[in-house]
Amino acid sequence: MSFVTANDVRFHVQVLGNGPGPLVVMLHGLLFGNLASWYFTTAPTLAHDHQVLLYDLRGHGRSQRVPRGYGVASMTRDLEALLVDRAGKLVLVGHSHGASVAMRFTIDHPERVERLVVVEAPSPPYRTLELEQFHSSSPEHILKAMPVAVQRMLEGADRRADKFLRSIAFLLHETSLMNELADEPEFTDTELRAISCPVLCMYGTTSSCAPMGVRLVRSLPRAQLTMLDGGHYLHLDRPTELTRSVTEFVHA
Amino acid sequence: MDNDTRTQETLEIVSGLIREIVGDELAFDGPIDFDTKFSDDLELESIEFVALAEQLQQRFGSEVDFVKWISSKQLDEIIGLTVGECVEFIVSCRS
Repeated sequence: MSFVTANDVRFHVQVLGNGPGPLVVMLHGLLFGNLASWYFTTAPTLAHDHQVLLYDLRGHGRSQRVPRGYGVASMTRDLEALLVDRAGKLVLVGHSHGASVAMRFTIDHPERVERLVVVEAPSPPYRTLELEQFHSSSPEHILKAMPVAVQRMLEGADRRADKFLRSIAFLLHETSLMNELADEPEFTDTELRAISCPVLCMYGTTSSCAPMGVRLVRSLPRAQLTMLDGGHYLHLDRPTELTRSVTEFVHA
Repeated sequence: MDNDTRTQETLEIVSGLIREIVGDELAFDGPIDFDTKFSDDLELESIEFVALAEQLQQRFGSEVDFVKWISSKQLDEIIGLTVGECVEFIVSCRS
């Protein structure tokens, strides 16, 4: 297993492929995500032509469980620190909060990012009321809020369900994640206009995040929007179509 | 080495890797065999699957592309995946 310490946090990192194209970095979403979200879906296809770097965000998967630093700005510092020895152009692919981090990195380092894929970036500030309800939910309610595919994976699996719920309970109750999300600033139009590279925005037709996709294609200078039949977790709902669209865009 | 010997040897390697990855938490009594299911029996988590893929890569090199093989499967197939299918895949890559 590969671990890298960056920004004072120990990260679980995986690298796939060794192709000649620019380095692809893939970021997963909060709570239910870990690097497996991309590792077993889109990453292997991209790895034909690129080296693909995947990591568990702080507090997630096998990365270190830390009490704070879950906001977009802090996680952008993590990404910078993980890339400190990597010169050259990048392709960034992010889901949900990971997509927000990829956008922030692109705003801060426009010269580094050749292409950006934004899958289901939410529109901060996150709806505080929903978060509070979630915060106080029982494990059963949290399970019900999860994508159906994840619920099916956990059915009848006590060890796995326990471990999964423990990891979510840690993030909800023992870290400042929820408070940091509630304080998350919105991307301004000026910031979005500064993202000058081509951007593929992908949203699910039934996802509550979909309005952000519309805003992004209006504000970003070179963005295209692809809608797929599905919800927030497109890597579970539509993995084949997601992979096809991302690969075509990265190679266009 | 004949195919049966190779298959048995691969099963022992895969079984050993699973026990190493899951450790004391393994909630499965009895030997890990061909019919043992990754999801229902071993309750392997997605991130443990990643660890297994990494270990297989280290053990067998690029001739066994476990990640690509798994990523070509639908969720239902992954949920139903047995240790035997994994072993057969590895053996087929190496023969």
